[in-house]
Amino acid sequence: MEFKAHEIEDQIKINYKYSFGGQSRYFLELKNHKKIYGTKCIKCGYVWSPPRINCSKCYAPTEWIPLKDTGTIMVSTIVWYGTSEFLVSIPYGVGYIKIDGADTSMLQEIFSENLVPSKIKKGKKVRAVFLKERKGKATDFFFVPVEEYDSWIKKPEYEGGSE
Amino acid sequence: MRKVAIIGVGITPFKTRYIDKTYFELAYDAADLALKDANISHQEVDSAVYGIYNDLFERQFMPDIFVNSYLGLNNKPGTRITTGGATGGYTVRMAYSEVVSGLSDICLCLGVEKCNDCYDKQTGTTTPEVLNAIAYSTDMTWEYPLGMMAASSYVSLVNAHFDEFGNPSEEQMAKVSVKNHGNAINNPKAQSPMKITVEDVLNSRIICYPFKLLDCCLYSEASAAVILAEENKAKEIAKKTGNPPIWITGVGAANADGFIGNRESMGRLYSNIYAAKAAYKMAGLDYNNIKNQIDVAELHDAFSGQEVISYEELGFVEFGKGGDWIDDGGPLMSGELPCNPSGGLIGCGHAVGATGIMSTGEAALQLQERAGKHQVPISKGRAISHSIGGPGAAYAAVIVMER
Repeated sequence: MEFKAHEIEDQIKINYKYSFGGQSRYFLELKNHKKIYGTKCIKCGYVWSPPRINCSKCYAPTEWIPLKDTGTIMVSTIVWYGTSEFLVSIPYGVGYIKIDGADTSMLQEIFSENLVPSKIKKGKKVRAVFLKERKGKATDFFFVPVEEYDSWIKKPEYEGGSE
Repeated sequence: MRKVAIIGVGITPFKTRYIDKTYFELAYDAADLALKDANISHQEVDSAVYGIYNDLFERQFMPDIFVNSYLGLNNKPGTRITTGGATGGYTVRMAYSEVVSGLSDICLCLGVEKCNDCYDKQTGTTTPEVLNAIAYSTDMTWEYPLGMMAASSYVSLVNAHFDEFGNPSEEQMAKVSVKNHGNAINNPKAQSPMKITVEDVLNSRIICYPFKLLDCCLYSEASAAVILAEENKAKEIAKKTGNPPIWITGVGAANADGFIGNRESMGRLYSNIYAAKAAYKMAGLDYNNIKNQIDVAELHDAFSGQEVISYEELGFVEFGKGGDWIDDGGPLMSGELPCNPSGGLIGCGHAVGATGIMSTGEAALQLQERAGKHQVPISKGRAISHSIGGPGAAYAAVIVMER
């Protein structure tokens, strides 16, 4: 007998209410003060961005330090085909940015008025643009080339720029 | 130390979708093929190690216990491995550990994955939802919310490598795709056999700058198994099957930092380097001369550019020379070290947990001169398989095999 498959639609759904734990201060500073924080190891001085409350290099505690809102692109790409969650956002730029004062780089979205690879290539200086409505999440800000900063912060959804 | 050999190989066809099989039914097919290849029954197996990457694909957490049930291996130890694209290689490593330690004399090492039950309603296709299920493997606080996914993660490493060394160029990456799709024509189990040109690759749609569609592997459904045995059992079984035991002489694995931004240099797959050096050292081989010490390599080419970088990190050529090597034809079937005669992931397909076991099984079949139409000449009697995966290609495993 010919094989006939029986198919149905289904989903896995779990709700969460979670804490960012030791990293909470980073998100509170972002949400309440439009500040990007890193952590500095009290022993070796290494500056973690994203922050860690413990130094993974020397097993000492770290202390919170404010970082600048500027940084340098270490590597980037432009995404033209995404996951189901991000298909609506394509094309978007993402890259690893070493924020001034940090020893590591963090992933962040990179926007540009003219999103082409040369605009967001390695070595470009970028500046953070904060959303007006912030939720205390990684998506509360993004980076733009420094020369585009003034025009981005004039947009109503990003009004005010950094304090 | 006990000697450990591969004495049976079973690989199902790699397909877009098995609508006629569940993941455990698919696992059964590879187990059955491998057991028959070794001419033993499942009752003779002392333990099993299962490579199954993604619970969201299988729509089942701890899927291994239901595979274990379906394979009739109740009341024996079974362990599940999940290390992204490196799941297969790490599963072989775990199975090797079972046997070399003396805990088991015969171990079934099986990988299975069935991704394309994931379904994206907005596009009416599977891939965006498969990619989303994979994206949950990126860091959920710092990376997933920003749209990080497999391609953007790997392309970051390739772009950083390009910034440092000026290669691989888009043409050099395209050549890997042409090679692997072409090799797959001679592999009856391959999902994407294609005779294509560099221009076809360059003209295919952009996915993640500069990766194009044909630079990327397809996600597949498949199962693959190898059976490992200690020396006496291996020799006894080999006598019955007539196939020589393929000794595992080197096993290396390493995890690089899961956050690319923490790495000293982003243009390196550090996991590859440490895994390869450990595997070659164990096998008594020379990292700087490995190209001349092996006959064939089955590599993890989830993306074409990543295969080029791997030539360097696995020690085939110097850093920065991977692009030149593909230009010179080094990894072609006719080249000095054929890489991915099976077609690799780009040609054969990528059924994540099964992939590295397929690669290991393929390398073993090459050494036994049973690879069929994609057989390469065997003179040194050695091969390697390579698996890499996870966020920023953080996990890697390299296996050295000898005839």
